Amino acid sequence: MSSAEVRSLERPADRLRRRRVANRAMELLAWLAAASAVAILVIVVFSVAKQGASALNFDFLTKTQVPFAPPNVHQGLANAFVGTLVIVGIATALALPVGILIAIYVNEFARPPVRYGIGLVIDILAGVPAIVIGFFVFGLIVVAHGQSGWAGGFALAVLMLPLVSRTTIEVLALVPNSLREAALGVGAPRWRATLGIVLPQTIGGVLTGATLAVARVAGETAPLLFTSSLVTNNIDWNPSHPLQTVPVAIFELSESPDPADHARAWAAAFVLLIFILFASLTARWLATRSRRKLGRAAG
Amino acid sequence: MPRNGKLVRIILVLGAVAVAASFAVTAASAKRSAGSLKGAGSSFVAPLVNAWIAPVNSDLGISMSYNAVGSGGGVSAITNKEVDFGASDAPLSVFSPTCSTCVQIPWALSGTAVLYNLPGAKNLLKISGAVLAKIYMGQIKKWNDPALQKLNKGVNLPSTAITVVHRSDSSGTTFNFTDFLSRVSPAWKSKVGTNTSVAWPAGVGGNKSAGVAGIVHQTPGAIGYADVAYSTIAHLNVFKVLNRAGNYIIPRLKNIKAASALDTHPAKDGSLSIVNPPKNAKYANAYPISTYTYVDVQKNSANAANLKKLINWAVTKGQAFGPKLIFQPLPAAVVAFDKKQIAKVR
Amino acid sequence: MSTLDTTTDVARRPLSGRRAHLGDLLLQGAAGLAALGAVVLVGLIAYKIVQGAKLSLSTFGLGFITHVGWDPVHLSFGAGSFLFGTAITSIGALILATPLSIGIALFLTELAPGGIRGPVTALVETLAAIPSVVIGLWGILVLGPVLRDHVEPFLHSALGFIPLFGPPNSAGTGIFTAILILTIMILPIISSISRELFLSVPGELKEGALGLGTTRWEMVRGVVIPYTRGGVAAAVILGLGRALGEAIAVAQVIGAFTGISWNLFNPGNTLASMIALNYQGASSGLELSSLIYLALILLVFSIIVNIVAQLIVRRVAKRQGLAQ
Repeated sequence: MSSAEVRSLERPADRLRRRRVANRAMELLAWLAAASAVAILVIVVFSVAKQGASALNFDFLTKTQVPFAPPNVHQGLANAFVGTLVIVGIATALALPVGILIAIYVNEFARPPVRYGIGLVIDILAGVPAIVIGFFVFGLIVVAHGQSGWAGGFALAVLMLPLVSRTTIEVLALVPNSLREAALGVGAPRWRATLGIVLPQTIGGVLTGATLAVARVAGETAPLLFTSSLVTNNIDWNPSHPLQTVPVAIFELSESPDPADHARAWAAAFVLLIFILFASLTARWLATRSRRKLGRAAG
Repeated sequence: MPRNGKLVRIILVLGAVAVAASFAVTAASAKRSAGSLKGAGSSFVAPLVNAWIAPVNSDLGISMSYNAVGSGGGVSAITNKEVDFGASDAPLSVFSPTCSTCVQIPWALSGTAVLYNLPGAKNLLKISGAVLAKIYMGQIKKWNDPALQKLNKGVNLPSTAITVVHRSDSSGTTFNFTDFLSRVSPAWKSKVGTNTSVAWPAGVGGNKSAGVAGIVHQTPGAIGYADVAYSTIAHLNVFKVLNRAGNYIIPRLKNIKAASALDTHPAKDGSLSIVNPPKNAKYANAYPISTYTYVDVQKNSANAANLKKLINWAVTKGQAFGPKLIFQPLPAAVVAFDKKQIAKVR
Repeated sequence: MSTLDTTTDVARRPLSGRRAHLGDLLLQGAAGLAALGAVVLVGLIAYKIVQGAKLSLSTFGLGFITHVGWDPVHLSFGAGSFLFGTAITSIGALILATPLSIGIALFLTELAPGGIRGPVTALVETLAAIPSVVIGLWGILVLGPVLRDHVEPFLHSALGFIPLFGPPNSAGTGIFTAILILTIMILPIISSISRELFLSVPGELKEGALGLGTTRWEMVRGVVIPYTRGGVAAAVILGLGRALGEAIAVAQVIGAFTGISWNLFNPGNTLASMIALNYQGASSGLELSSLIYLALILLVFSIIVNIVAQLIVRRVAKRQGLAQ
């Protein structure tokens, strides 16, 4: 007897049961998959929190690194926090205006083929690995002028640019055309219409993209290894010197044989995670707020 | 304008202020503050240089900072004039490109220890250069291999696998270690050779001496090499290494001192090698992998005055900070040579 | 991607001749300059990388790509062992991450009770926000010892007849650790894109199938997955792109060994991790140029992967646009 005949001899009730069992099994697998993802996240965050909290104290946030010091010397990573603040600040100041301008060009002025082309260029830029960007900035700036916070900031800005551009393009596209036409209708010149009416509508989305981009590059290590790694251990706000940064500090401390260094690495990771989570939550809140506002404007 | 328009303007103004502020800060501190020196390089000498930071500040009024990026990183940093001084355990002639306008000064003396992590091994184990070479070539894979067992009669070595740890970055310590292996093992010399970075036949790579010590510290059964100070830092045992006199020696101050008697007159370019002293009563207790480490300074330095103060202090008063970290104070002849070298810097 | 393509749009096309305001010209100029800058930037990146690799390109040519070994003493370099490392870690991560991600996405779109859908989505996306250096830190200090002490010996004893699961080393670092780390990193990318794709399946199609009496799994298998097949493929390829380029976390856990070994528990090296660990003070100009050659290979791969993913996305969007 062929399998088809065998199968047709199967009572409908049995076949139904078999299909239900298969369904149950796949549902179980899906639950397991989700549970494992949540478990991984919880394990990682828990490790960071547990190990990091024990080394997190006032000294850690206010004192600087003292390599090879005996355990009784107070040290911390204040120089890294300051450096990250400066370098990420420079990156944001560079990437945000340029990203918004690119989005304005793509959405408000460019013809469709140009729009497609620049969209493609931005997608290519987004796909360049951070370490290749590090080599690029190294060859472009560091070889001639040495390492500096500016070079590090520029490298991070290159990483942020596609993120900011993409989100701004998407949000600008959501603004209804009627708004633009209405602005032109009352006699406003294009630039006034774009900057004064269209762009402000999207500020929530733009800030969302910017916040997410900042959260992303605050933890980037590879480009900073090439551009800002020969650092002093003092608190330094001057971007023309190479500045210590939190991710590079974590990278260096993670390889040390000293458990006290590991504790500091965990604590730095903890602070970094909190900053990034806070930024992501802010971005999410801004996104919902702007979506609500755009919904009101369109409706 | 709608409410958001104001928000846009506020953000733009804040951004402009931030950029202007950083330009102002840059301009204000454009001149490096008098009395600050920046150095980078060897992780071998890093414990000692870091111990110098505080006394240099109080004795000389110079604020020094040092980045242990490895000898290779130090030499390229000083070649590109990114730092005031570079530190390297390998002589400049080994690197290419190298700093042809630099002065090379041997400023510290210590030993390259062979660290190991073998829980349960109570006393320090013995090893010979030949066996070490075989281990690093991947030919000896377990701790209870007959070759190792023969050198350590009476010790019950376990069958744990040996994890070989080496440097993954460009390292002067690697240069000195492979130099020793090349001298004691013709097979190593022809197959792998001597350099700051080689094609390692086996094992795991660690970044800088701290990375190597870190991996050995975490990995039962691991063997690695680093400056002997790292054995204290990482709480690791060191092998007693066989020297040509037939004795098994650990890198203590007196053993390094014995090795330094081999040659106290640096070559014209400043390099000085005391690896593997020959069989002679004078070197009976010499540690065979004793090494000088160098500071490299541009002949024409922006910070020449401070550099000369620093290095003069380092090779004289600074040596007193050495013994605690197992750095043997420099022989008088070397100090004399160093002072002449420093005079070339202007 | 903008869905508004009309050129007759007065409000959104390039400025025309006479009635252009000075402010308009300035804005269009500045914006155009910025856009041009992006194009120039990409070109400059390609140029600088090729320029840096020129010495190695002229010395070794294309044979560099297959040559295995990295010998600074005898000045012989090659990308072979790193291509192998990149391939085995990326493919391993994809094999583990793809079913997991699709499972998560299906869970979030079909199975999750309303209350936990939001939080679990947020949690999975938070996984994406964890910086690679932190995951690498966790990999060295937490995952590595667990793998070394429990998982690897178990896998070797259970599956040791397969050469992939050879004798474990005692360092806890290695290709297997790197695969697990990469899996964790690309999981959120594939799952969040898949989730949005599954959400975009028209409700009528799904309800139609269920109405015919299929089980939920049969509906997924027969409607959701075929409908989103292209998009999910693009998501997987984007995940691949992420895995290819990851340097730091991999450098921390892979053990920095140059050579080809099929034993997953051995150390290895990928293109990205080799660059990260060795560029500082390469011992010769040729070695530095060879490292940049590695970066060039990585760049070419990443661009190809990205373009392929984008092409698939565009084709899928077009097909879905027609279908509606």
